[in-house]
Amino acid sequence: MTSARLSGGGGFVTYTAAMAILLFIVAPLAVIVALSVSELNFATFPPKGFTLAWYAKVLSDAAFRHSFVVSILIALGATTISLCLGLPAAYALDRWKVPSAGVIRTLLLSPMILPILITGLALLKLFSQTRMRDASINLLIGHILVTLPYVVRTITVSLELVDRTLEEAALTLGASPVRAFVRVTVPQLVPGIAAGCLFAFMISFDDYPISMWLGDAEYVPLPVYLHDSLTRLFDPSIAATSSLMILTGILAVVGLEKIVGLRRAMGV
Amino acid sequence: MRPPTMDLALSGLVKSFGESTAVDNVTLRIAAGELVALLGPSGCGKTTTLRMIAGLVQPTSGEVLIGGSRITHVPVHKRNIGMLFQNYALFPHMTVAQNVAFGLQMRRLRQSELREKVETALAMVQLKEYADRLPAALSGGQQQRVALARAVVIEPALLLLDEPMGALDKNLRENMQFEVRQIQKRLGITAVLVTHDQEEAMTMADRVVVMRDGRLEQVGTPKEVYESPVSRFVASFIGVSNFIQGSVVAADTTGTKMRLVCGTEALVSETGVTDGERLLSIRPESVMLRVATPGETPGLNEVIATVEHVVFKGQTTHVHMRMRDGATLLSNLSGTVASRLLPSLGAGTDVIASWSADRARVVLDS
Repeated sequence: MTSARLSGGGGFVTYTAAMAILLFIVAPLAVIVALSVSELNFATFPPKGFTLAWYAKVLSDAAFRHSFVVSILIALGATTISLCLGLPAAYALDRWKVPSAGVIRTLLLSPMILPILITGLALLKLFSQTRMRDASINLLIGHILVTLPYVVRTITVSLELVDRTLEEAALTLGASPVRAFVRVTVPQLVPGIAAGCLFAFMISFDDYPISMWLGDAEYVPLPVYLHDSLTRLFDPSIAATSSLMILTGILAVVGLEKIVGLRRAMGV
Repeated sequence: MRPPTMDLALSGLVKSFGESTAVDNVTLRIAAGELVALLGPSGCGKTTTLRMIAGLVQPTSGEVLIGGSRITHVPVHKRNIGMLFQNYALFPHMTVAQNVAFGLQMRRLRQSELREKVETALAMVQLKEYADRLPAALSGGQQQRVALARAVVIEPALLLLDEPMGALDKNLRENMQFEVRQIQKRLGITAVLVTHDQEEAMTMADRVVVMRDGRLEQVGTPKEVYESPVSRFVASFIGVSNFIQGSVVAADTTGTKMRLVCGTEALVSETGVTDGERLLSIRPESVMLRVATPGETPGLNEVIATVEHVVFKGQTTHVHMRMRDGATLLSNLSGTVASRLLPSLGAGTDVIASWSADRARVVLDS
């Protein structure tokens, strides 16, 4: 909301801390990106020379392309379904008198708290016992389980921020409750919905612990593919694959920024 | 814009939330074109009453009638009301013009007619050149004027004002009070104002309804409730008043006689008062002072008091005193009287405070 600069001692401490944290997060990623253009055959730092050959190698690899498409499709599917389930759930829990709403809310958010690795194992056990053999469906269900809490959480936060008198004003002006919701409330929720979708997409795209249990020979999500290649040989193509994942994340963020404005989406 | 003027009637309106009763049997008639202020401290039920008129809250029992027809069970969006909220409630994602047009769109007006009406409404609140701005780019006063235009453009049967000036600073508030009142009068819309600000109620309303604990405490013109409060609550909520304890000893058609706790008697021109323990209520501006001569005893419509401190307020000077029974007494002296008396009114001075019979009221001690 504010673009004012902090000044004085407090400002110095704030900016220094922010820079330190940023460095801590970005530096390892920068190393990966640097490695991906190294001319050496081994992933060593500092990189030597500059080449895009590793990217060419990765992109020409059918297994990589397949994994990439699998991961994108699962992430899109999990995000869409999480939104379709999460928006009504968040709205109902916030605006209606739902019996034991607190319990339902905690249940909805619980996958966020439970260890995902164990959740994945439990799902694998469940699916094998119920003879659900389709890995694509299993992966989708598993991913929805971990993405849904993020969608519910962000939409709930923006619902709480929406001024209810706006809906009341729309009603007094002659809008039916449904029209008031669509014309006045939903536009206020767009940032929250967008942020929730971004979280959901990135968490699904990035997920290893669930995918590791639920993938099979045909459906190998990208993080699993990456891990498998890493155990075979650590050459700069691994770094190139990682860099492409980072790029996907950046594109998702930039896309969101273009559509709704990231500052609004994050509620700042 | 000539909305049909309609009267509003509330009949035995009750709203209970679980065990507690927020509004308790409110019956009130508001004439077409009249502006009535619901005045009271927070929690007195004034907002709940307004929300029941709007249809945003469903009454536990009782009826709301507009123009004689029962609308108690008509949903909000079919009631044709304009409402102003304390926080303006403008739609932040719509421009000023789109905000004003919203109610007209809900009524499916033709585009040309719609544009014309929006323009007229914005001109009315002098915000025509702000039509394409977003509400966030406007000041609080401008936002509330947009909200006013949005509320009246639909030609509502009723205008409901829920503390609409609460968030504005003093100067702006006075301007807005005047502006809202002018527009309401010109359009002849029946209006209900909710406020806890007695000054706002007095300046804007044709009639003031003082509410307390969900009930109507007193209904009357601003002059009536100020000059003839029925209870200590009303007298102290609307303006400031002195209260002297006493009991009614005689009452007939010419007036009322009270014996005051400090020993003197008071004759009040008010009639129709029943016997019993009462309070004598006298506004500070009606209390006259003179320095007591040593050993002087106060006479009829007089009490003796000691000056505690004097506060110069510019136009008036407030003299704070204590009576013999320990109760405080306040006199607001006007400039000329004050300058004549002030030199002799040091702290500790005994003074005789007096009032004329028609300036005092007998009120209930509640």
